[in-house]
Amino acid sequence: MPLIELKHLTKTFKGKTQTVEALRDINLEINQGDIYGIIGMSGAGKSTLVRCINFLERPTSGSVIIDGKDLSTLSQKELRQLRQQVSMIFQHFNLLQQRDVRGNIAFAMEIAGKKKAEIDRRIDELLEIVGLTDRQHNYPSQLSGGQQQRVAIARALATNPKIILCDEATSALDPTTTTSILNLLREINRTLGITIVIITHEMSVVESICSHVAIIDDGALAEVGTVEQVFSQPKSKAAKKLIFRKAGADTGVMGDRMIRIVFEGTASNEPYIASLILECHVSVNIMYADTRDVGGKTFGQMILQLPEDHLQQDKIIYYLRNKGLRVEEVSSDGH
Amino acid sequence: MAIEKMVPLMLGGIRDTMYMTVVSTLFAYLLGFPLAILLVLTAPKGLRPHALVYRVLDAVVNIFRSIPFLILMILVIPLTRLIAGKAYGSTATIVPLVIAAAPYVARMIESSLLEVDPGVIEAAQSMGASIPAIILKVIIPEAKTSLIVGATISSGTILGYSAMSGAIGGGGLGQIAISYGYNRYQTDVLLVTVVLLVILMQIIQAIGMYISRKTDKRIRE
Ligand SMILES: Nc1ncnc2c1ncn2[C@@H]1O[C@H](COP(=O)(O)OP(=O)(O)OP(=O)(O)O)[C@@H](O)[C@H]1O
Ligand SMILES: [Mg+2]
Repeated sequence: MPLIELKHLTKTFKGKTQTVEALRDINLEINQGDIYGIIGMSGAGKSTLVRCINFLERPTSGSVIIDGKDLSTLSQKELRQLRQQVSMIFQHFNLLQQRDVRGNIAFAMEIAGKKKAEIDRRIDELLEIVGLTDRQHNYPSQLSGGQQQRVAIARALATNPKIILCDEATSALDPTTTTSILNLLREINRTLGITIVIITHEMSVVESICSHVAIIDDGALAEVGTVEQVFSQPKSKAAKKLIFRKAGADTGVMGDRMIRIVFEGTASNEPYIASLILECHVSVNIMYADTRDVGGKTFGQMILQLPEDHLQQDKIIYYLRNKGLRVEEVSSDGH
Repeated sequence: MAIEKMVPLMLGGIRDTMYMTVVSTLFAYLLGFPLAILLVLTAPKGLRPHALVYRVLDAVVNIFRSIPFLILMILVIPLTRLIAGKAYGSTATIVPLVIAAAPYVARMIESSLLEVDPGVIEAAQSMGASIPAIILKVIIPEAKTSLIVGATISSGTILGYSAMSGAIGGGGLGQIAISYGYNRYQTDVLLVTVVLLVILMQIIQAIGMYISRKTDKRIRE
């Protein structure tokens, strides 16, 4: 049984002048232990979706089932209790400015009605986990963004949740800090078995820690699968746009025939382009190249500008396909 | 006026003025605080939106705030008699002072409470905090600094009102200024009361700002 199940979820915001269909018929299953990425462009409905998972936002229709419980059947009190099992961290950390690090972590447990002695003991453990023991008496204004997010993570862990929801948790951080926060989340997932849902607009976040990904586009899910599946063979237009976004921006100008080579896991450590040039005696222009590590395997893509001669073009494509690479034509708008 | 007469007169004036200001501020907060919390809760974007309650409270506050204090004082004379037994003197003046100040204080508190980052409130909700917990553990503590600044400004305003009340039978420095300075042309008395009122105002300001700065954790040491 999935830990989180969304069934035919819709959310419509009715304003005075217009109505916005923020979510349309979302169906999603997230299993215990997953690190599930939900990615989409700005305004796609990511925040609305994640806020529906803990009912901060009530869906217009459809159901949210967590651990077998349909949230719409819960009373206010039961819902508040459930939320202690479903923690959330935010882009802007949302710490209490007038409480120090300990106070902020304590807050979650005070809400849960824990005793003072137990709270103090648990705070010590949590500070250890997030590595902030030396900053425990500082106030949020005295901490860097990364440190503040660590406090937020400690606060999220305080009540031993089953699930942590992250809404753009690294979007306000620099790349190095992002990496360290993502590592911390991965560690938490691995050692504590907590299921993590990560909302982001950054492909790199999904690549570096997610096991599964759902692509949301204009309020609907465009594609769902493991990160490997979706990244190596994106099917929907929205997925291609997200995955090849950078490449698309670089090509437009050239207008000549170009191809995209997609490296699907095993192949990336072989020098394909060098051998191509040596063996086929052709020259190609590398317009764009980007390879990344996903779950220990290398994935990547490269865009080549081909020579004028059609025969040579066909030879190159044939050669690369023969090597087991996926080759696609690149149209001038990048997809 | 001779100094031997002036000193006890002024000391009495200061005592009465402080008495009116402090007691009125206290009662104004006693009424204004719940009012402000209700306004914040029932506002369209509040935690418990309720259009009717919000609109009624909002209108009441606006109406009372738009009546000039001197006119309000005259309007509520029957009520003042009922509560204080008479319509003049320091204690009696507290009644109109509170009625005038409570809506003002409510607005002041409301604006402080609304300054609290909605993200922090959302975080508390996501942890399963109840509405009373959000008010007591999040909104009020996070607004503390702003609330103290507001209280400083409010008590300054109430001090001003109390002086104004001297024109129609209130007590304290305002009454001394009117009856000696204005009615009997004793300019020296008038000047001294003005100086004393300015000093009182400065003291209130200084204390309020000191406390608010001392308690604000957002400032890096
Ligand atoms: N409370 C609301 N009232 C009306 N419309 C809303 C509300 N919340 C969100 N929307 C609309 O719903 C759509 C999805 O918004 P949402 O915040 O979920 O997007 P997002 O994917 O999180 O975007 P971003 O990456 O910019 O955070 C947008 O068109 C937004 O304007
Ligand atoms: Mg968002």
